Amino acid sequence: MSDNLHYTPQEMMAIATGREIRDGELAIFGVGLSMLAGYFAQAHHAPNVRSLTEGGVFGATPVGGLPWGIECNRISSNAVSFTNALDAIGFLVASGRCDVGVIGAAQVDKHGNVNTTGIWGGEIGERYSLPKTRLTGAGGANDIASGARRFVIMANHEKKRFVDNVDYISSPGYLDGGDARKRHGFIGDGPSAIITTLGILRPHPQTKEFELSGWFSFSNIEEVRANTGWDLKIAKDAVPVPEPTGEELAALREVDKTGMLRKK
Amino acid sequence: MNKLISLQEAVSRFSSDGMQYASGAALPVGSDAIVFGRELLRQKRKKLHALFHCNSQQLNLLAAAGAVDKAECGFSGLEVFGFANGLRRAVESGRLSLEDYSNLSMSLRFLGGAMNWPFVPTTVNIGSDIAWRSAFAPDTYPATEKIPTIIDPFSGQKLGALSPLKPDLAAIHVTLSDPEGNAIMIGTEWSRFELSRAAKKVVLIADHIVDTGCARQFPNLVRIPGVIVDAVVWWPFAAWPQSSPGAYDIDEKHMRLMNEQFATEEGTARYIDEFVTKTASIDDYLAAIGHDTLERLQKGPSAFLLDPYRKWIKSREEINALLAQNASKGDAR
Repeated sequence: MSDNLHYTPQEMMAIATGREIRDGELAIFGVGLSMLAGYFAQAHHAPNVRSLTEGGVFGATPVGGLPWGIECNRISSNAVSFTNALDAIGFLVASGRCDVGVIGAAQVDKHGNVNTTGIWGGEIGERYSLPKTRLTGAGGANDIASGARRFVIMANHEKKRFVDNVDYISSPGYLDGGDARKRHGFIGDGPSAIITTLGILRPHPQTKEFELSGWFSFSNIEEVRANTGWDLKIAKDAVPVPEPTGEELAALREVDKTGMLRKK
Repeated sequence: MNKLISLQEAVSRFSSDGMQYASGAALPVGSDAIVFGRELLRQKRKKLHALFHCNSQQLNLLAAAGAVDKAECGFSGLEVFGFANGLRRAVESGRLSLEDYSNLSMSLRFLGGAMNWPFVPTTVNIGSDIAWRSAFAPDTYPATEKIPTIIDPFSGQKLGALSPLKPDLAAIHVTLSDPEGNAIMIGTEWSRFELSRAAKKVVLIADHIVDTGCARQFPNLVRIPGVIVDAVVWWPFAAWPQSSPGAYDIDEKHMRLMNEQFATEEGTARYIDEFVTKTASIDDYLAAIGHDTLERLQKGPSAFLLDPYRKWIKSREEINALLAQNASKGDAR
């Protein structure tokens, strides 16, 4: 699919995610791919983004490659403030002050609910049985999904990940759709986009069901639908997503020094 | 008051089978009081109820070794190092019951314990399976005891109630502590501030012991004052193979080796033999890490963060003299 490309689908996903972040916003990035996307945005088009990590590292940029964790030395050598989790994910995120967060997903469903807790292979049922595969749990993603004004979900686009209903809701999207978030009392407005390795999905304004909004140059509508576990609708205004510019790729690769996104 | 004691004495005096054990910082890959966990295994502690803000290599080790029956956690992976194999095996086999929360809700529960509140109102974890599913009460769905729904008496809005945590013991990693337990943490605190106030007993594990003059120079940075600390343990490279910002970097190779070993019972036994049983003394521990690795880890890009404090750092001889004042037996073993 991408043999002739000069960038990988993961790089396209990171760049498309970075494009969602606007200059000047207060933004929180989780560790891993979402951090690369966030710092790419800062290096490329959002120099005044105000970034923080879940443990309370402020104003830092990674040195020497992707940080191993949110507080490893690669992101501790040029910070302007170290505080704590109550401050970062409490005062600044769960409170509703944070503009945008980026989170990952092992499974995501048509209403943007995210599972990072475990794979049961379908509905868990009445009794909370043991997972077939235990994953990492929610971390700060539940707090971002609950409180940030909006958040962006990043996930590899595979049928087993894009399911009708996630096995376990670790981080809430729009639950069963419509105005469910309001009824539950969430502070944040919910996920604004799911950025994948094939394209971009956005929620329908009323039903909150995610629809295809754009596909990448190496993909197409049929491929996206074939890799989605629900009957994916195509938004009326769906269009191809512009390819990365030379400047975008250069900025991303400067942040991704260790080549995380270029591994095949 | 000089509160320096050996690691062996701290574990023997402050821990017991079945206790609620909290460890801080509890970052997945940094500032973890893991040497306390290694000593818990040497003293054969079991049936622990772990309260960890995040999983760390310490919880991964204790779970792999079968020393933990119950755990409450906000995050159970190892960040970029992947899934925590020891914890994962223990959960999937049903040997360990893992109750899921999030990073913020664990902090809020420690805050509730510190404040002596009956519960903490929350707008996170609501409307998710974190609230609806309880590993400690698997037959009740949706769960009623974990994060019950309450009504804000002012607005009438629904929200959740979190239960407070008051661990029997918190072993907290700090970069610097004076002999009284006035401690400075370099890097983010995560939940160490509120945890130090929530726990019934607090043992500090410090990479460096400093003179009290250091606390007097930077009193704003002493976020854990000695008045709430029961004991101080000195142990160099205490968080290894995880990082301690300013003091040492992550040992990437050992992070991977350790987690690979925990994928099987045999590997776990090998790891415990080589890196737990045989590293009971500081000298054996440092030898196991290796001289070249120690040198390299200390020269990371954040080493400058330690510079303002270096002149107060006590030598091993000075620390041994302080330990001798307190110890019934021997020096810093």
